[in-house]
This record gives sequence, C-alpha cells and structure tokens, in this order.
Amino acid sequence: MLIIDSINRPEALRYLACHDENISELESGIMDRCESELVGILSPRFVYRYFDIEVSADKVKLIGANLILDGADISAHLNECSGVVLIAATLGADADALIRKMQITDMARAVITDALASAAIEQVCVAAEEKIKSEHTGKYFTWRYAPGYGDFSIEIQKRFLDVLDAPRKIGLCTSESSMLTPIKSITSVMGVSETPLSHKMRGCITCDMREKCRFRKRGLHCGF
Amino acid sequence: MDFKKILCENKFVFLDGAMGTMLQKSGLEAGEIPELLNLTAPDAIEQIHRSYISAGSMIVYANTFGANRFKLDGCGHSVEKIIKAGVKIARSACEKSGKEAYTALDIGPIGQLLEPTGSLSFEEAYDIFREQIIAGSDADLIVIETMTDLYEVKAALLAAKENSDKPVICTMTFERNGRTFTGCSCSAMALTLEGLGADAIGVNCSLGPKELVPVVEEICRWTCLPVAVKPNAGLPDPDTNLYDVDPDDFAQAASVFADMGVKIFGGCCGTSPEYIESLTHMLKEKTCRERTPDICAAVCSYSDTAVIDQPRIIGERINPTGKKRFKEALKKGDIDYILGQAIEQVNAGADILDVNVGLPDIDEKAMMVRTVKAIQSVTDRPLQIDSTIPEVIEAALRVYNGKAIVNSVNGEEKSLLTILPIVKKYGAAVVGLTLDENGIPKTAKERFDIAEKIMKRAMELGIPKRDVYIDCLTLTASAEQEGVMETVKALNRVKNELGLKTVLGVSNISFGLPNRELINSNFLQICLSHGLDLPIINPNIAAMTGAVRAYKLLANIDKNAADFIAAYNDAVPSSVSAPSSCESGASAEGLLFAVRNGLKNEGAAITKKLLETTDAMKIVDDMLIPALDKAGADFESGRIFLPQLILSAGVAQAAFEVIKSEMGKDDTSVSKGKVVLATVKGDIHDIGKNIVKVLLENYGFDVIDLGKDVEYQAVADAAMADDVKLVGLSALMTTTLKSMEETIRLVKSVKPDCKIVVGGAVLTPEYAEKIGADYYARDAKATVDSAREVYGC
Repeated sequence: MLIIDSINRPEALRYLACHDENISELESGIMDRCESELVGILSPRFVYRYFDIEVSADKVKLIGANLILDGADISAHLNECSGVVLIAATLGADADALIRKMQITDMARAVITDALASAAIEQVCVAAEEKIKSEHTGKYFTWRYAPGYGDFSIEIQKRFLDVLDAPRKIGLCTSESSMLTPIKSITSVMGVSETPLSHKMRGCITCDMREKCRFRKRGLHCGF
Repeated sequence: MDFKKILCENKFVFLDGAMGTMLQKSGLEAGEIPELLNLTAPDAIEQIHRSYISAGSMIVYANTFGANRFKLDGCGHSVEKIIKAGVKIARSACEKSGKEAYTALDIGPIGQLLEPTGSLSFEEAYDIFREQIIAGSDADLIVIETMTDLYEVKAALLAAKENSDKPVICTMTFERNGRTFTGCSCSAMALTLEGLGADAIGVNCSLGPKELVPVVEEICRWTCLPVAVKPNAGLPDPDTNLYDVDPDDFAQAASVFADMGVKIFGGCCGTSPEYIESLTHMLKEKTCRERTPDICAAVCSYSDTAVIDQPRIIGERINPTGKKRFKEALKKGDIDYILGQAIEQVNAGADILDVNVGLPDIDEKAMMVRTVKAIQSVTDRPLQIDSTIPEVIEAALRVYNGKAIVNSVNGEEKSLLTILPIVKKYGAAVVGLTLDENGIPKTAKERFDIAEKIMKRAMELGIPKRDVYIDCLTLTASAEQEGVMETVKALNRVKNELGLKTVLGVSNISFGLPNRELINSNFLQICLSHGLDLPIINPNIAAMTGAVRAYKLLANIDKNAADFIAAYNDAVPSSVSAPSSCESGASAEGLLFAVRNGLKNEGAAITKKLLETTDAMKIVDDMLIPALDKAGADFESGRIFLPQLILSAGVAQAAFEVIKSEMGKDDTSVSKGKVVLATVKGDIHDIGKNIVKVLLENYGFDVIDLGKDVEYQAVADAAMADDVKLVGLSALMTTTLKSMEETIRLVKSVKPDCKIVVGGAVLTPEYAEKIGADYYARDAKATVDSAREVYGC
C-alpha cells in the first residue's frame, strides 16, 4: 500500500495562490497541523492497466477494451505511441469527509487542507507513474493527459473507470454528471512508445486556460 | 424446499464461484457489460452455472450483478429484460442439473457513490434497487454482494424486504485494515444488517481466504446470523491479473472458517468450479458448528460502534428546547449551526448524539431527515433519534446509516403499539421511559414495573433484550426532593434485576436551584455508581464530562487511566466561558487587530465585551466591516493570500455569532439583505461557494445556502420565496456551465429583477455575460462587492 507521509507544500501553496514563499508564521503553523491531520487519514490507492492502441486523427482505439478515447487533442497527444496506460487514483472518501467537516468548524483550515489534498493526489499519480515506468523499462512515455484537457471530454469517466474496474478495486466512481467521487481523485492517460518521442509540449502554450490564467497574468506558472 | 429452512439446518451451504473472471477468460473485454451476455450468449452463461452445480454449488448467482439502470444506461435494453433473462438462465441450469440447487438474484453496487461522498441520494438508490428486486421476482433468494458502503447495502436490503419475501444474504468487501473502502467496520455491518432483517451476512471478494481470517472472526463476534464467506482466489498479480491461491490451498484455508462457525461458503474473483469442488470435498470431513455468540449491547454509525459495556455520554445539545438561537436556526433551515453543535459535542467527548428538531411551526419530519443526513456527513458518532412523532422517527431511522437509538417509547399502550414496530423494522435500540397513562409514578417499584412491561412487549416483537434501554426519569430536586433517590433506586433495580441498560437525562435535577453544575455533576456521580450506562448531558460542560471520565477511572474501567490522561494531560483546568484576557483590547482597534491576525477567541471575547457598551449595528458597521475591508483590500493588492483572508473572515464569523446570540434575545436584526447561494446542478465541488458564504455572512448578509448539485427550480423557488435581490451561482467544470446557464434563464424568467452573480474556475467575464449573469466574481471578495452594490451598503 502506498504511504504518503509528507505533502508537497510548495505545490499546495501554489493552489492557494500564495506566490510569496515567506508565508507568515501563523499560516505555516496552521499548515503543519492541517498536513499532519490529513496525512493521518489518507488511504491513497491507484489502479492502472496497459492497452495497445490504434490512433487516428480524432480518436484512439484501445485493443482488448471496450473504450475509445475521442478527440483531436488526445489523438495528437498519443500519435507517436503504440500503447497507453490508463491510470485512476484516489485519496479515498476520508479526505473528502475531513474537508467537509472542517468547512463547518474552520473554513481557513478547510481551504488549506483542500489545497494540501490536491497536492497529495498529484503525488499519488507520480507514484503510480514511477511504478508503471519501472515495469516498462526501455520504453518512452508521454506526460499524463487527463479527461477534461482540450477536447478530451470528461464524459468518458464512467467507461474509463469501468475498464479499470476502479469502482471495485479502489472505490472510485463517477456521478451522473461525470464528476469523480471521491472528489480528490484523478484519472489520466499516459502514452507508451517503443521509440523516443519528439518533445511533447507541456505548459501554457497547450493550455486552454492560457488567456485567462491568473498565474500567467502575474508572470508566474501554475506548475503544470 | 424453502431456502430459509436450509439456513436453519445444521449443515454447510455452498455458493458458486466467480462469474466475471470466468467470462473474461472466455473473451469478455474490459469495460464490456457482462449482463448483456444473458441476451447474446445465454448458453455460455448456463454452462458456467451448470459446471458450478456439478462441482457442488447449491446456490448459483444469476448473471445480474451490474444489471441496474445506471450501469445499463445506453445499452439499449431494459433492466427488467436483462434480469429476467439472467434469472431464467440460472433457473434452467438448476432444473436441468437434477440436483437441489437454488437461483439467487445477484445485486452488486450501483456504480455511483451515495451521498455524502457521492451525489446519489439514499432514496434514488432505493429506487434503483427496487426496480432490480421486482424484475428478479422469479429467483429463490436475493444476494446483495461486493458492497463497500453500508448505506448502499441498507438501501438494497430495505428494497428487498419491502418488495419481496425472499431470504436475503448480504456480503461486503473488506480491506486488510478490517474496513471497507468507505470505512465501514465489521461490527457496524453486523449490527446494522442483522437489525434490518438480513437472513445471513458475511464477506465476499476483498482478499484471499487467509487474509480474511481476522475479518471473519470479527463478524462472527457481532452477529447471531449465519455467516457467509466468499473469498477471492488469493491476491491478483497487477500485470497478469491472475490470482495466486490454487483450489487445494483455497479449500484448506477455508476450513479454518468452518471451525469459527461459518456456515455458507463460496468463491469470488479468480475462483472456478475446481475451487468449489475442493471446498465441498474438504468440508465433507467437517461438521457445521453451531454458534452462540454473546453479543454486547451496542449502537453504531457506519464506522463508529459505541459498545455499551461502560458509561457512554449522550450529548443533549441538538435540541431547541429553551434555546432561542437554536430555534432561529431551525426556522431558517440554518443547518450549519446545528452541525457546529454536533461537532462541538463530539470534540468535547460525546459518544452518541441525541437529535431533536421538534418545533411547532416547522415540518419536523423533513427537518429531521435533513438534519440526520447532514450530521452523518460530518461526524460518525452514532445518533439517538429524539421525537414523539412515529412518522418522524421512522423517516429518521430510514435514512440513518447505522443502528440508532430511538428516544423514546413509554408504558402507554398507544406508544408501545406505534413505536416498537418501527424500532423492530429498522433494527434500532430503544429508550423506554418509565411512565404511562397515569403519568410518572412516585415510587421506584412502580417505575420498575413499567420498565419490565416495556421490556416484555419489546421482546414479544422480536427486539433483543440488549436493545432496550430504560430511562427511570429525573425529577427536579427543588420541587420533588423526596423523588431523587426513588429514581436512583429504580435505575439500580432495572439494571440488576432486569439486566437492562439504563439511560437518564441528568440536567433536569437542578432546575430552579443555584449552582446547577454542582448539583448536576454530583447527581451524575450517584447515578453512575448505581449503574447508569447512558447519561444524557451537555458534554461541553467540563465538570459533567469530567465526572464520567473520573468515574471510569475510579471504577477500573479506564485501564491505566489511559483515556483520562489523554483527555487532561495537556489541559489546564479552566471554566468553559471565553477567555477574558482582552479587557484592554475591547475597542475597535482591538477587534481590528483580532481580525487582522486571525485570533478567533479574542475576536469573540472582544465583541462580547463591546456589546455591553456599544450598539450591535455600530459594532458591525464601524468595526467589523472596516476590519474586513482592510483585509479584503490587502488580499486584492496581494499583500495577504486566501488563507489569511479566510482566517480574518473566521474571526468576524465568531464575532457575528456572538452578536447573533445576543440579538436572539430581542428581535432586532443585523441583516444587510438576503443572498441565495448554490453550486449548480451536476456539480459537487462546493468549497468555493462555501468560502463565499462565510465572507457574505461576515459582511452581515443573510445567506440562504441551497448546497451543491441544486436543481434549477430550487434556486428559482428560493429566490421567489424570500424576495431575494441577489443569487450567487458556482460551477467548477466546463460541463456544468450549461446548468448554470439554465438556472439563470429560469431565475430571470420568474423573477426578472433578481440579480445574478456567478463564479468558478472555468468562468470568464465574457462567458458570464453571455449566459445572462449580471456580475462575474473572480473570487469570494468580488462576490461580496457585488452584494454590497446590489443592496447599496
């Protein structure tokens, strides 16, 4: 079982839009308490599976799975790949419950814990990614592309999770409106190739939010 | 042959093995709907059933596990059609086998999480299951399996019990830590499902047989029902998905369960007919052992079990009697206030929370359901449902995720006839008050007699004796001083002679006397030493909770004083009132300093002090709001960040709470105007909306918070009902912007003069304008600005 015993604080601060590293003593004290409380109840889990793929201009077909990844953007992302790994990760229902409870008693702690949890789920994805890479030595990988990026619709979530048997294996489901539940969860797709990949752009230039991004307006970066 | 009879016989029952992994072996692709094969390949399914029956299975699970309307959505076939086909195939296999074999309607999880983690309501879940139960009426029995959420099992089991008369086996899936994914414990599962009338309970899937030993041991400790175990063939290899235990080892491991008294056996993922054959072969050598567990009195939520083997505190604060602020909250539907009361009591040491929302001019039933659902979303302490109205009690028990206590029944015939059947149906525990048609008897003997009558009547209905708790009723010492020791005597006799658990509301004893706390804590001590199990008290009063902790230490219940030390080691003994170290700071500057630095307690204390000399509106307008404005300006200019802004808001909130409770005493209001807030339909990300709520409230606005995933109509209705000038809508995802647009359209059509402010990560000012919003708020502060503009303040 994956254990997360410390959380990427700079990342959490970025989610809080705290671009000043010198946060006050007060906040750093609160953050310490929030972090230890969150870490104490995390039950992070992930599940992944590899599939061979056939890529065309606007969709990607998975071999051996009843699933098609629709959209020009996901096709472009995977166009040099021969396979994909589907990944689903969650912090579990307790993280949601903790944040819900804090919103009743102390909104400041709730907001901080929410940001810490967002950083934690990203750490779970990184751990999954490392494990996958260690199992496919000698292969080349794209970065993780998630439903909701570009024209890759989140409406795929239900089928995506079914292919991974994620509801049963890690307790991750979707709502009727394709929202992941528990909330602190991520699904993503990582392309796999036998040969080196040309540099896949990652950053503002590929981001749909680039024109309205508050980080970018300040000359900063969201970390993506 | 009746399957219920088989469950009573002293022999093993064999279920089948896996269906899903068998189908995958024969080429089912990942993500395909296995139940469609009932229509496209019935022979293949029947063949799997027949091979299990040949191997020794007495029960085969029809291929209906995921045949619910959510999972089948878009497949082109109805739930009824697919389930009927599945049951027919299994039946045919049973009949053709020539053996004694039964068909089970198989019901798995819906595939969507229920509230509060998900957005599916308990009532919708019930409805989904009901459709399946009715479609599967040709089966011999019902199995509800692979569940991880006790709430979902409850919905399914209630649907089964209310729409069929078939036996029901419920099995859940546990992890190595002895909990399910949603945190359900073995004891909570056993207590809740046995109470609701399951015919057998147990575990399936999860892990291999060896890893399940502690889980099964724990389940056996908590139930008298037959126990079922259907493990996986070990653990899967993440790459190959193959399981690591072979049929012989599987059977060997399973034989350990027979020694524990497990009656029903089968296999889950990775097992095949060979596993079942080994299993039946191995257990031929064993005899089915009868279990007679001695089960403790206990109640539970889905995850927290309060075992009543020692005094447990029932918190009494969720009750409007004599509390103006609480009544106000009930009238306004201010659920957050009630939740604050719940959490405060839990933090103070309450083991169980009493919930009473009875007020003459509100819809008590609706409010009770809403309150129970809300409380169980923020705390897992078991609840005691406190009402005199049978419909309210039933509605609360129905939506409660666990085994609750009903407060109360009494010796009156009418009460016994209406309350006890509800207690039985939902498997609750019940408080019996020792009064009847003639009121509260004077003597201990008469109260004892009523207690005995209540116990007998409960047991006649099949309510276990351990679930009846007796309240011998506290009378006021100032009015009936001679009655005090009668209560104590009655309590002692009920405990020792009837062997029942006792419960008592303590605080009444001191009514009309000075120094009530002193009387209360001494009376509590007397009662505890005479056998009181469940004191109903205000746990926020340190002397009361302390009396219980001290008693447990002195009575050698709290071994090594561990709990006592944990509670008091770091604490300096203090009174409960707010610290008064702020005499000098009781000024506008002091309040500004507190807000600026996130000092909540100081902020509240200063406000309290200021109220002695200063008008409430003046404090709000001349001190709090300027202090918040300063924080807001600093936030906008980047000098402080969101957490600091909210910390400041938290101080203002505490100050407002003080002002409101003072205001509660007369009828003036500090409201600047009403604002409706909602996270739009389809969206469940509500933290942003909740931040806005806190800020608006701190600026003196009355917020009508409709929550998340809100129907368009509910927003329009709320805007109309209170003649609201501003509605705030939030959406996080691009997919729910459509809902936002629809909501705006509807609100504007029914109330054109109502302004709308929208916010959320994916919104832009341009998009906000396009969908008809009047204001775009890039953050919580901007929402407050628009509210101030609309209300001109």
